[in-house]
Amino acid sequence: MTSSRPLSSYVTLGLALVVWAILPFVVPRHVADLLVFTGIYTIAGLGIGLLLGHCGIVNLAQATFYGIGAYASAYCTVMLHLPALTGFALGAALSMALAWLIGRPILRLTGYFLALGTLALSAIASALFFEWDWLTGGTLGIGGIPKLDLLGFALDRPSRYYFLVWIVAFACMAVAANLVDSRTGLMLRAMRDSSTAAAALSVDLQSLRTRVFVVCALFGSLAGSLFAHHASFVSTQSFTVDRSINFLLIPVIGGATSIPGIVVGALFITFLPEFLSKLGDFHQILFGLALVAVVVLVPDGLMGALGRLRKRRVAAGNGHGG
Amino acid sequence: MAAEPLLALREVGHAFGGLSVLRSVTFDVPEGGIVGLIGPNGSGKTTLFNIVSGYIRPNMGAVLYRGTPLGRDTIQQRGLAGLVRTFQTPQVFEQMTVLENVMVGVTKLTRTSMLQDLLRTPAARGQMREIRERALAACERFQLAGLRDVPAASLTAGQRRILEIARAVVGEPRLLLLDEPSSGLNAQEIENLRDWIVRLNEGGMTVLLVSHDMGLMTVAPMVHTLYFGEIIASGDMAAIQRDARVREVYLGV
Repeated sequence: MTSSRPLSSYVTLGLALVVWAILPFVVPRHVADLLVFTGIYTIAGLGIGLLLGHCGIVNLAQATFYGIGAYASAYCTVMLHLPALTGFALGAALSMALAWLIGRPILRLTGYFLALGTLALSAIASALFFEWDWLTGGTLGIGGIPKLDLLGFALDRPSRYYFLVWIVAFACMAVAANLVDSRTGLMLRAMRDSSTAAAALSVDLQSLRTRVFVVCALFGSLAGSLFAHHASFVSTQSFTVDRSINFLLIPVIGGATSIPGIVVGALFITFLPEFLSKLGDFHQILFGLALVAVVVLVPDGLMGALGRLRKRRVAAGNGHGG
Repeated sequence: MAAEPLLALREVGHAFGGLSVLRSVTFDVPEGGIVGLIGPNGSGKTTLFNIVSGYIRPNMGAVLYRGTPLGRDTIQQRGLAGLVRTFQTPQVFEQMTVLENVMVGVTKLTRTSMLQDLLRTPAARGQMREIRERALAACERFQLAGLRDVPAASLTAGQRRILEIARAVVGEPRLLLLDEPSSGLNAQEIENLRDWIVRLNEGGMTVLLVSHDMGLMTVAPMVHTLYFGEIIASGDMAAIQRDARVREVYLGV
């Protein structure tokens, strides 16, 4: 089990990298655009996945942190003419502070009550984004958010912005994977499986839950800032409760305990509606049916199903080998 | 004077609503000792356990640990101070493997910040290696090595019980609270359990043991009998079994 990785896994990884690098140049512009959104949603979905898969917490408030990141970037660059990085930093700081302040009281709730608490947070935030139009521009929003450039290289097209978004997404995936494999990850899963026994082993439930909530908010805010610089325009419509539900779907569909599963979930919610919309007016019904099919047929998500399939094949292979 | 007891219960009383379940319970658990607690169902044993481990705050009396009242100390604080319990119904982390379950028991001996964990710093990696090594050793010691990659959900009742004990012991508690550790075990497993308790105790661990199992109870030189929330007899198992009141109310003869 401890042997080094086989050569084939490096070859696969290399091929995947090559495909990743040439993909935005060979697909049409609107597909490249969707791939950018997939990256942004992967970042936001990673936080939800950590909470859902490793803490058993349903977070329906991610659009709030996504919105804070987006508005912070819009306000800093358009209104205050500050460098883009300040928007990212301000959004992250505000989101983490809010998650910490709100997390301490509402993470005392469990199960459905906690889910409803986060839903309420999302509803309140979405109302405030609308009401505080002196800050957010209300329904008119804030436009003219500058495109980013990286080391003098203008990221003004989806095929270029793609690289920044996905590099951030891979970094976030690495950080999330670190957490899952760490001492903290162990304590989180213990708490998810039995909070009573975890407490007896000195796992500090409250503080752990709050800290993961803060990490989730950080991911949400980063995704929001990236979104603002991609769309050039942000308004209240992008940060409603609907968006929160969409974010929750990502780990549910892809598999909450799997990090690649988050990418699968993000691909699903960006590409499937787009593909189905070509089929006519009933595309939303079809998307709904596809969702129901995934949740009913593979409750542990697409990656969960894949994992079980692989395990079964290995078991069968061992059986044949004697 | 004898040395200060590791754990001391002073006039501990508790009622749920109007129902009094513990009345003025006072006893000591000496450092390095094994103390047993027997009593029929509903006599208050588990409530007493919940009070000592911090799941319930008593209405009356005090619990002193190393001479200091535990008062409002949380379950986690008591755990860090070296007081670890098991449960009457084993509470394993079902979706985690046996090894991971035991690893959770080691986490309290190590310290990393979440930031270190997120960035997988050398310190975080080193601690994780240490956690794993200690857990592997404990799996070996409690004969769980063959099951270490199995999800805990697929264990038998007896295996869950042993896993729970291994997970508690690996955190090096000073005081181990065992709630009905032999229920669900077969004769051989009970024999092993007895062995482990004796050896852990010889290694310096103090044990408070609740059990119905009279055979297992003979490991404890001091046994208290609880009946409707009161201690009605104390002594070694032989003395308890001779006690007229115990025979009347508990053994039913």
